[in-house]
Amino acid sequence: MAIVATTTKFSIYGRPVLAWIVGLIFFFPIFWLVLTSFKTDADAVKPEFLFFFTPTLDNYLNMTENYDYWRFATNSVITSVFATVFALAVGIPCAYAMAFNPSRATKDVLMWMLSTKMLPAAAVLYPMTFITKSIGLFDTHFMVILVLMLINLPIVIWMLFTYFKEIPKDIIEAGQMDGVSTWGEVKEILIPLAWGGIASTALLCFIFCWNEAYWTVRLTTTEAATLSKLIEGNRAPEGLFFGRLSAVSAAAVGPIVVLGWFCQKQLVQGLTFGAVK
Amino acid sequence: MSSRKLPRLLQTPAVVLLLIWMLIPLSMTLYFSFIRYVLNSLRRPEWTTPSLSNWRGFGNYEFVLNSKDFLFAIQNSLFIVCSILFLTVALGVLIAVMINKAFPGQGIVRVLLISPFFVMPAVNAVLWINMILDPVLGLQGLAVNGINDLIASLQGAPGIGWFFSLWPEIEPISFRATQTSAYAVIIMVTWQWTPFAVLIFMTSLQSEDQQQKEAAVLDGAGTYSQFRFLTLPHLSRPIAIVVMIQAIFHLSLYAEIEIVSRGNGNKNLPYLIGEFANNNIGAASATGIFAVILANVVAIFLLRMIGKTLME
Repeated sequence: MAIVATTTKFSIYGRPVLAWIVGLIFFFPIFWLVLTSFKTDADAVKPEFLFFFTPTLDNYLNMTENYDYWRFATNSVITSVFATVFALAVGIPCAYAMAFNPSRATKDVLMWMLSTKMLPAAAVLYPMTFITKSIGLFDTHFMVILVLMLINLPIVIWMLFTYFKEIPKDIIEAGQMDGVSTWGEVKEILIPLAWGGIASTALLCFIFCWNEAYWTVRLTTTEAATLSKLIEGNRAPEGLFFGRLSAVSAAAVGPIVVLGWFCQKQLVQGLTFGAVK
Repeated sequence: MSSRKLPRLLQTPAVVLLLIWMLIPLSMTLYFSFIRYVLNSLRRPEWTTPSLSNWRGFGNYEFVLNSKDFLFAIQNSLFIVCSILFLTVALGVLIAVMINKAFPGQGIVRVLLISPFFVMPAVNAVLWINMILDPVLGLQGLAVNGINDLIASLQGAPGIGWFFSLWPEIEPISFRATQTSAYAVIIMVTWQWTPFAVLIFMTSLQSEDQQQKEAAVLDGAGTYSQFRFLTLPHLSRPIAIVVMIQAIFHLSLYAEIEIVSRGNGNKNLPYLIGEFANNNIGAASATGIFAVILANVVAIFLLRMIGKTLME
């Protein structure tokens, strides 16, 4: 009875079809962006070339000419990689201490860290620009890396904390009994055991750094400007350069979307701070 | 080194860095909010450098409270954030329940669905406002034109032409206008964050008690009451988490607002601060303090609500 009641025609045929339609709808804008990037600027706004057109690679080939893409891309890679590395370097020891030697204050410290993420960036924008300009760090890679690291540090620590918490305490304690140093503990026991968690934290941090568009736009002009600055700077083409703009946008989000595909499962677990299993 | 000191020492760099990151700019904002400080003033050049002699007390706060945009910006901030939260949670639950059971190509659908989440906000905004929602050159404009042409051609058809001649010509909606630009922002952010909600709800649904469900079916519970009394309560915790994480990100929404509606009426609090900061740093700082207060109210509320479940 029960089986008959739940396996209706709809759940056999209708559900998958509906699911595919929803998936395709959500993916459509990205597909459209990529499709438009293969059209010339003139073709991109003509209704007769909506889906059928002569594809061209010119937009991608001329990216350097039109937008100086590679400089921005290099900056994005440099700043995101270093910010992620530094965030992990500061975050791993902190999360390690919190997970294995929690004190009464640990919970409050974690909450406070998360609450710094809620601080509206706009509220401190002017002082930040003022400080960075007066100490000569405006528009430098160092400053962008520092800021990217700081805004992602709370999330990084939270994620690492939830992963580390899953590791049985006994293993660490056994190591301590055997007289392994703290550094040895981290290197020999913690990192191998939590490798998956650390990797997905790093990936997520990298993605957030890459996509960050508030500070990177406002603390840079040319030297350290990242891809989000490039996109922001070319935001109002009023239909004149759809082809070019699509190519540079696709090239800006492509690597990250593909990277995201590979880590989507771990990402969900990490982002919910282990509260959803 | 004693076992109590080392854990503290390991936490120190992170805590100190975050403290500095929070306190120094915030105290400067607080200071600027109490003085007259503008970037350009021919009449009063002494106001262009921050100094205690330009003390203004709560003058900046009064100025901000009396400015016509302030209340509107707060209203608009809340409207945008709440709409996004409602839409992502509602759509997220629906889609998650729909695609939860295994079907051919489930993995591919998952990948298709999650993709928007990784798109850079600036690209998201440029893509939607120019290429999709634009009333002339975007897909919206093209679709509206297509429909109008179709109706126009049907009007000449024998027999049914009279029926179609009753139809009005459809007008495309401009999403850059004052009223509609908020909707554009809501649409694009919902597109980006619904996948995130879906994935979290799906993960949670996998742990739903199947035996309980079967028992309910035997007792004659329909699909709706199963959903209402079993699935929805089961999802309450992930819903709370989706709400919290999104609130963290959307309270400081900026890139989308700026790209969609630069110069138009659709301001949220961060955008208003940016506008003041073009010249009047004092007012911008006072608005910033209001934004901090608003964020704290939301944060306390959310962390109270969710904090406990996170620590379990």
